[in-house]
Amino acid sequence: MAQLGKGKLNYRCPSCFMRDLDIDMFYNKDTGIYSCIRCPYRGDEADVLAKNEDIRYRYRAMYERFDKFDFD
Amino acid sequence: MDKFIVNIIHRPEMVPEYSATVTGQGKEEDIGDKALLTESLDIFKTQQRLAHENGLKVTIQMTYAALFNAEAVEIAKHDHEVYGDEIALSLLGLPCEEFREKYKTKDFCIWMFSLEDKKAIVNDVFEKFHDIFGFYPESTGSYYMDADLTNYIKETYPTVKCAVATCWEEGPKAYHTCNNSWYTLFDGGPWAPWIPSKQNTHAPAANEAEDSGIVAIPHLSRDLIACYDGNGSNFGTHPQNVLRGMIYDTKTWEYPYLYNLIDQYRDLAKYNNGYAYNMMFVGPGWMNKMGRWEQPYELLYKSYSDGCKYYGELKKEGKLIDMTMAEFADYYREKKGVNAGNYNEPECAPWRDILYGSDKQLFWYCDPYMRACVNMDQGGAIVDLRPYVAKLEWPVGIGTKHVQDASYPFLIQEKYRAGYFTHYAGAGTVRSAKLSYKGEEVDLCLCPTHCHFSEEVIDGKKNRILTLDPVEIKFRDVTVKLQTKEYFEEGSSNIKIERNILEISDPTAEITLDEYITACYGTTEYPEDMTGITLACEGENGETINYEYRCRDAKLDGATAVSAVVPAIQTKVSLTASDKALGYIEEGYAFSPMFKLGYKKTISDKEVFATWLNLEKAN
Repeated sequence: MAQLGKGKLNYRCPSCFMRDLDIDMFYNKDTGIYSCIRCPYRGDEADVLAKNEDIRYRYRAMYERFDKFDFD
Repeated sequence: MDKFIVNIIHRPEMVPEYSATVTGQGKEEDIGDKALLTESLDIFKTQQRLAHENGLKVTIQMTYAALFNAEAVEIAKHDHEVYGDEIALSLLGLPCEEFREKYKTKDFCIWMFSLEDKKAIVNDVFEKFHDIFGFYPESTGSYYMDADLTNYIKETYPTVKCAVATCWEEGPKAYHTCNNSWYTLFDGGPWAPWIPSKQNTHAPAANEAEDSGIVAIPHLSRDLIACYDGNGSNFGTHPQNVLRGMIYDTKTWEYPYLYNLIDQYRDLAKYNNGYAYNMMFVGPGWMNKMGRWEQPYELLYKSYSDGCKYYGELKKEGKLIDMTMAEFADYYREKKGVNAGNYNEPECAPWRDILYGSDKQLFWYCDPYMRACVNMDQGGAIVDLRPYVAKLEWPVGIGTKHVQDASYPFLIQEKYRAGYFTHYAGAGTVRSAKLSYKGEEVDLCLCPTHCHFSEEVIDGKKNRILTLDPVEIKFRDVTVKLQTKEYFEEGSSNIKIERNILEISDPTAEITLDEYITACYGTTEYPEDMTGITLACEGENGETINYEYRCRDAKLDGATAVSAVVPAIQTKVSLTASDKALGYIEEGYAFSPMFKLGYKKTISDKEVFATWLNLEKAN
């Protein structure tokens, strides 16, 4: 198996991102799988993108526009 | 009329951070790569164009490498003439062939060099700047500027009056985010502009003698909840940082959070005599053509374009003033009253959650004597405390005791030292209170509420006051309605916390109030040696405990103060009380390296009891 490289975009590991770690993933062009070099996460691009959407669960107000910042 | 100021800063960086290593992965390092130089200049030109198209003035921070590039120099001169941009000098972006050849190192963070090298580099870059432009800069900066560095620059190049001097809470959390490889360890500073003291950059000057001669601005304006809890580099007025945090809609490429963040900063003018501040400083590495992590170049470009557009629109609506850094320094000194001799006007920031959908609210306070964070979600507990009053001299860089760690030490830090304690054994740092009745105990940390800010002159002294919405503490047989007020007296180096007992369902019930602080010291998650700390119940027949991890305690009825002297950070912290109460001190143990100071008092209906948290320098 040839060495891992970079994909078309430099995806981070979604599993590590969830624990506040920015870890680049590396790409196997033969299998189409991205893999994390720190944790056991593996996934194709569709899985990475889906997990990146899941990550946003904690940003419950990310689509809101606020016009009041106090509680007066 | 309220003034909202923005500083837009660009730096032509010939070898952008990240570009060479991240997008160049799989290639041998070539610091003189011509393609990289061309791309870097293109990014700088793009950033300049976007700011100017939106009518915004820029501070161009020339890097050392850019001083060797004729085109970058010409752009700076042209944009200074045409748009009024300030030509300044950054101490970021040192890496280039000339620098490597001369200094024989890959170090690039100015605060980490030895003092001797700092001076040599400063001389080198400032003189080179003078050779190119014919004058010395008025502004400079880096991610962090230690006091020795700033003092040397001011002494040697007195034209300098403004500097980017810290990134707010960019410490262990940022280090962790980069898989423990990004050594920007400088937690504990102000989030908004300040005048650094000569002794310690983080700690604002208290008077002219301490004044370092510059106005410091933070690198970016950061979310005061999200950055405190998580990776600082995801939540600031750096559009690509918001993308880094994945805080955007992947279908529409919209990011309302960026505008909410800017708007919440605008709102802070209400608490700071009509003044609020933002800075946007995006290095070129964040806009490179290869994209950045998940974001393609088109999205990186869009976000910067939108950031400039939003500030530009605010300017057109008369809601924003764009300034260069040097202009801002003059404005700041006048606005804060420093020109009239007052260094004590604090910076105040009630801050609500604008990202996670909670109604959590913090209050950040900063003056020359302390930085404190009050958590309304924990009943007004103090969850972060930095005793600036000690003006701790803390040299950093090679040859000092702190090669990388430039953080200002804490006495309380709820993220690194547990805060309100929920785990198996031990204690966490926090300043709170407990109420107890017939064997039941409730900590106010479990009573979420909100605060309202006001200013009042009391006994001739200006006070900033937080009035918290009342909370109800329900015991089996009795309900207590309690309101907390917290007073920050200007120039006092103390915080008064007043508990107003509004109502007790059974007025005859004897409720015990326990006002306490659990503290330690440190700059990271890991414990420090507590040996040498002296705890005292002060007063007639007072008692002291020299810290030996032996889990001892002492108490004194009517103690005039309960205190701890922490020699490692030259700080004395104490509690004092408005009425006679039982003072107590508690030593920790190896599994719980903390100390606790407190007062216990029986309280009754309609009673008001106050305690002061006092900070002093202790040599």
